[in-house]
Amino acid sequence: MARIELNDIQKRWGPVWGVRDVNIDIADEEFVVFLGPSGCGKTTTMRMIAGLEDPSEGEIIMDGEVMNEIDARDRDVAMVFQGYALYPNMTIFENIRFPLRMRNIPKQEHDALVRRAAELVELTDYLDRKPAALSGGQRQRAALARAIVREPQVFLMDEPLSNLDAKLRQAMRVQIKHIQRELKITTVYVTHDQIEAMTLADRIVIMQSGAIQQIGTPDEIYNDPANTFVANFIGSPPMNLIEGTLEGGIFRAEGIEVGGLPGHHSGTITLGIRPEDCTVAAEGAHLSGTVFGVEPTGDTTYLTMKAGNKLIEVKADRDYRADLNIDEKVRFDPTRIYLFDGESGERLR
Amino acid sequence: MAAKRKLKGESLFLRYLILGGWALFCLMPVLWFLSIGLRPRTEIITPTPIYFPTFSLDAWHMIWEDWPMGQYLRNSVLAIIGSVIIDLVLAIPAAYSLSRFEYRGRDDIGFYILSTRMMAPAIVAVPIFFLFRNMGLLDTIWALMLIYAAINLSFVTWIIRSYMLEIPKELEDAAKTDGAGELRILWEIIIPAVLPGIITAAVIAMIFAINEFLFTLLIASTPDAYTMSVALANFTGGSDGIIYNAIALVAFLAFVPVFLVVVAIQKHLSRGLTMGAVKG
Ligand SMILES: Nc1ncnc2c1ncn2[C@@H]1O[C@H](COP(=O)(O)OP(=O)(O)O)[C@@H](O)[C@H]1O
Ligand SMILES: [Mg+2]
Repeated sequence: MARIELNDIQKRWGPVWGVRDVNIDIADEEFVVFLGPSGCGKTTTMRMIAGLEDPSEGEIIMDGEVMNEIDARDRDVAMVFQGYALYPNMTIFENIRFPLRMRNIPKQEHDALVRRAAELVELTDYLDRKPAALSGGQRQRAALARAIVREPQVFLMDEPLSNLDAKLRQAMRVQIKHIQRELKITTVYVTHDQIEAMTLADRIVIMQSGAIQQIGTPDEIYNDPANTFVANFIGSPPMNLIEGTLEGGIFRAEGIEVGGLPGHHSGTITLGIRPEDCTVAAEGAHLSGTVFGVEPTGDTTYLTMKAGNKLIEVKADRDYRADLNIDEKVRFDPTRIYLFDGESGERLR
Repeated sequence: MAAKRKLKGESLFLRYLILGGWALFCLMPVLWFLSIGLRPRTEIITPTPIYFPTFSLDAWHMIWEDWPMGQYLRNSVLAIIGSVIIDLVLAIPAAYSLSRFEYRGRDDIGFYILSTRMMAPAIVAVPIFFLFRNMGLLDTIWALMLIYAAINLSFVTWIIRSYMLEIPKELEDAAKTDGAGELRILWEIIIPAVLPGIITAAVIAMIFAINEFLFTLLIASTPDAYTMSVALANFTGGSDGIIYNAIALVAFLAFVPVFLVVVAIQKHLSRGLTMGAVKG
């Protein structure tokens, strides 16, 4: 269907930067998720791919053809908008059918196609209603149905599940992934929800302040973060980032001492360790501090340790319990320790 | 959307009292006109008030039998409807352009359009008279149509433009990615979404046109082009003196169609614009 290349894409509005220096090569049939906090340029990037926004600089290439001068209408992409953008005067049926009419798909096929799309998003009972008579979640699903009703070159989805409740979101996530695999349509998906990103993506693009921080498979992003931003953004609860100093292979911060680290780095360092790579253990402990909080969630218990003035999150056994302020020791899995430059936050290897 | 509160007892009664009083106050002149229009001429100019006037259709017969009121009415209706159609045909694309496209001088052009309303009509009266005379349109309803359209065009454009500005841009973006061209977007997305605005503008244009007097008087010199508003003036001249009951009745008759139109479409006048189109 379509391979998408973004080459040195920048977008400015006067002094305002939307996106700076985006480079990515999205393979045909790939599912790529743009992940980042609000205002980092995800929507802007997507709108440029759709042709709704012109890049200030750089090239957008689809299947080898430069698309910069091609109108949105001629790009054959289907987009789910963050704000739904349902046509208020049309019924849901008419909304979903609209792209079929515009793309000259034979009339006799419309009914079946609309119904199939509505079924996928569980909206068949609402086809006669106007958008105003639907809840936020239903509108979002209607917008999704309008995008998947035909088979475009590219799917663009801007936070398509953000307004659904947890259960429905999980169900729609599976549905979207299934549809994408079935139709084999290149998909760019935007979200600020890391679970969505991890579960859906072939590759994740992490953005911050308009710039790409890292591109990689969910595994790479999780296990091999390029900097503290990525490390902190992925994972729930996020990775512990501990500032300290590294001298002769030994990292020190208040209450924390970790030896056996690479000797070729030294100075101000941030040490990263995920909560699930910490265990409560007296033997070979790296951290000694006091218990600050204990949160049982059912299948696990989160322990928050206080060392100096730093709080460190530990994923403990499900039946771990402890009183506040008692002394406790924690061991880090030495193979799971990450080192980052204390100033730039870049990963040190 | 404002929360609806259930009102009970006293507070509800008070509300109806206030609203009813206000409605009566506003409708008083209309009822007064009707009352004058339906009493004999002798009961109009009296120094003492008459609380229970005699009912009389004198004025009614007079306006239909002594005057070509049917023709005036027809002239009014044709000129007004024609002018509103001209306005909409011109104003909708203009408003679309002013609200949706970015080009140099766009906002200036918008302001120039509005500024045509800012001069006193009398300033252009004489040039317009000569213009229509040279075009051979004096004393025709075509001239009335054009002049009403010209008077109203600027604010009709402006009202529709302001409604169009309210439409979220995402709606058009969605239509574009769905494969719609500009005209399709205008026809299938924008116009239905701003329909309440179009109707509002059309009604206001109608009301202005019905009340228009100066230019009509200038252009119309025979019953061929007389409208209701100019016909009213005719009752004040001539050997019969001022015929108040006929004036009142004609004024009332001019009011009725506007009133009916407004009642018929009032749900559009106040309806929300883009309900359900976007979040929030
Ligand atoms: N039309 C615009 N004019 C000026 N600035 C804009 C415009 N659209 C977006 N921006 C800015 O660009 C940045 C990125 O926005 P956006 O792509 O919408 O972020 P995200 O979708 O990741 O939340 C934001 O700082 C936003 O304020
Ligand atoms: Mg966004």
